[in-house]
Amino acid sequence: MRRDLRAVALGLAVAACALIAYGCGNSDNGGGGGGGSTTAANTAAASSSGGGKVKTAIVLPCPRSDPWCAQGFAAAQQLASEGVIQLKVVDGAPQDNAGVAQVLGQLAQGGQQLILAHSTWQDPALETGKKFPKADLAFAGTGTTSENVATYDEPIYEPAYLAGMIAGGITKSNVIGGTAGQDVPLCHAELVAFEKGAKRTNPKIKMLSTYIGDWNDVAKGKSAATAQMDQKADVLISCGGAPANGMAQAIKGTKVSGFGYVGDMSAQAPENMAGSIIYNLYPYFKAMATDVKDGKYSPGKTYKFGLADDGVSLKQNPQFSAAKIPESISSEVEKVQQQIKDGSFKVPYVAGS
Amino acid sequence: MDWNEVIGPAAAVTLAGAGLQSAMPIAVAAVGECVAERSGVLNLGLEGMMLSGAFTSFLATYHTGSPVVGVLAGIGVGILLGAVMAFLSVTLKTEQIINGIAIVLFAQGITAFLFDDLFKGSQRPTIERLPDIKIPVLGSIDRVDSIVNQNWLFWISLAISIGVWLMLERTRFGLTIRAVGESPQAADSVAVDVARIRWFALLVCGAMAGLGGAVLVVGQLNLFDTNVTAGRGWIAIALVIFGRWKPPIILAGAFLFGFADALQFRVQAVSGGINSSVPYEFFQALPYLVTLIVMVTATIWARRDAQPAALGIPFRKGVGS
Repeated sequence: MRRDLRAVALGLAVAACALIAYGCGNSDNGGGGGGGSTTAANTAAASSSGGGKVKTAIVLPCPRSDPWCAQGFAAAQQLASEGVIQLKVVDGAPQDNAGVAQVLGQLAQGGQQLILAHSTWQDPALETGKKFPKADLAFAGTGTTSENVATYDEPIYEPAYLAGMIAGGITKSNVIGGTAGQDVPLCHAELVAFEKGAKRTNPKIKMLSTYIGDWNDVAKGKSAATAQMDQKADVLISCGGAPANGMAQAIKGTKVSGFGYVGDMSAQAPENMAGSIIYNLYPYFKAMATDVKDGKYSPGKTYKFGLADDGVSLKQNPQFSAAKIPESISSEVEKVQQQIKDGSFKVPYVAGS
Repeated sequence: MDWNEVIGPAAAVTLAGAGLQSAMPIAVAAVGECVAERSGVLNLGLEGMMLSGAFTSFLATYHTGSPVVGVLAGIGVGILLGAVMAFLSVTLKTEQIINGIAIVLFAQGITAFLFDDLFKGSQRPTIERLPDIKIPVLGSIDRVDSIVNQNWLFWISLAISIGVWLMLERTRFGLTIRAVGESPQAADSVAVDVARIRWFALLVCGAMAGLGGAVLVVGQLNLFDTNVTAGRGWIAIALVIFGRWKPPIILAGAFLFGFADALQFRVQAVSGGINSSVPYEFFQALPYLVTLIVMVTATIWARRDAQPAALGIPFRKGVGS
């Protein structure tokens, strides 16, 4: 009996090693391809050799299927395929400060010139910047910068204002709603801008807002959206991967409309999605990589590419019945969008209580 | 704040419907866990089994277009992981808590990896929504229909949960399972194969956990996301203790938790969200708080220790109890 058990244990150990080898050996080497293990660092080198390219690493706090991380990954991949950077991707990074600091430190030590910490990781970024003055880092979401640490803005509130204007025009119950993961400045500003935009086209609207407390629980996101629909909200917006996906599932097949978050979510509910807020990180990352290359990175700046610079936009869904949006609203939205672009109108930014 | 909008008669009914939906995956998994624990094995891998069941059922439904195939696939994978747990805990007699946690970590990793790898993350894949079944009389009443008109998966899982409860509490075989969990030595002395009973219990537990995951994904969300179960397995394990290892109380506890969970969103929406004076974090803590209070109260009032005596202890033939 003992011998049999030992044989079984040995067999299991061998099987485990084989599985690990398969997972690690499967990493893709093409710049455009996907795949590879999600927890280990994946090197995706562009086909030509190093010269002139900025060695860049991007650290994602979520898997690549999450819209926030998908946008960051897509922008970085585009730069890599253009030959501007040599990209290393770390996804599913630990969310606590100490864990992130470790990951950033390892990347800096490994010789990465530009490290993109794609989340609100101010403290770990500053800490790593101090320890490795030769590396350049950037984190998302405005905050304190230093000699070699920059930050990049998330002006999602600008297209949210436009979405709000549309919402005010198409709502029949005069109740609109917004869900978010947590009350962070990004989401607070987005929901407030949505409300203000709606009030501009329809002063009678009432705004409901709910925080689900979890960036990853889609079921909670759906439950929260359904609760708002029970309160008669008929246009919804959301902030966060799970709230957005939950909302899309909640409104599908109903008479409620919604706006997607950070990427084009029209395919999830083609009849119901009036549009999506797009967060385009390509200009951000390109500006940073160019600054690193030209030696102009220090002192770290706050990179901001708003609606005017194509950093964010509201992409409307052509399948969403155009008849639903009154012509007067559409033209007013066009007008305001132009005003934002040429700077004559500034969308109010309200970051939080 | 208008409380009538939250728990007034009209609102209460939609709340009940939402609460039932929210509770069902947890209830199914919790009843399965009860079977395993009553047989003496502490299965902490429940979260992993639910997640694997959710992922497999999603994958199968996506590729075959049939939710039935999806649900069966989810149950199958749950049974598979239940077998892994049984092999480690019952046959190899290694530490049950560690085995369970290892299964959870393994499941979380492999589902995330395969999901990202197979779907490449670009456009979120979804599956068809299951149609609601209209109940003859009650289903036509305006607000009541949101409680009773659920899809077939909901009814089947409810039926299975009740069936397993009856099996455990009312049949001779269920008595054998319970005996193995209370005193495996005594059961062994009357020629009960303890290992085989525990294996069976764990396979049932795995199957129900897989079913719970399938209910969540195929029956409700119609999509998969990494870590879609988001800790529901752990809540199910807590509910088993809360329910004092008795399936009817466990089911009641699961529904209580589901209602509180649905309630907190409604309260937030009505109270004005970001403009309300009560911090929204309080509402988020509400379901867990309610469950905790009820559990503490119930434990203080109870007179006996309801935990199966041999829970968590591997059975070794011939070793005195």
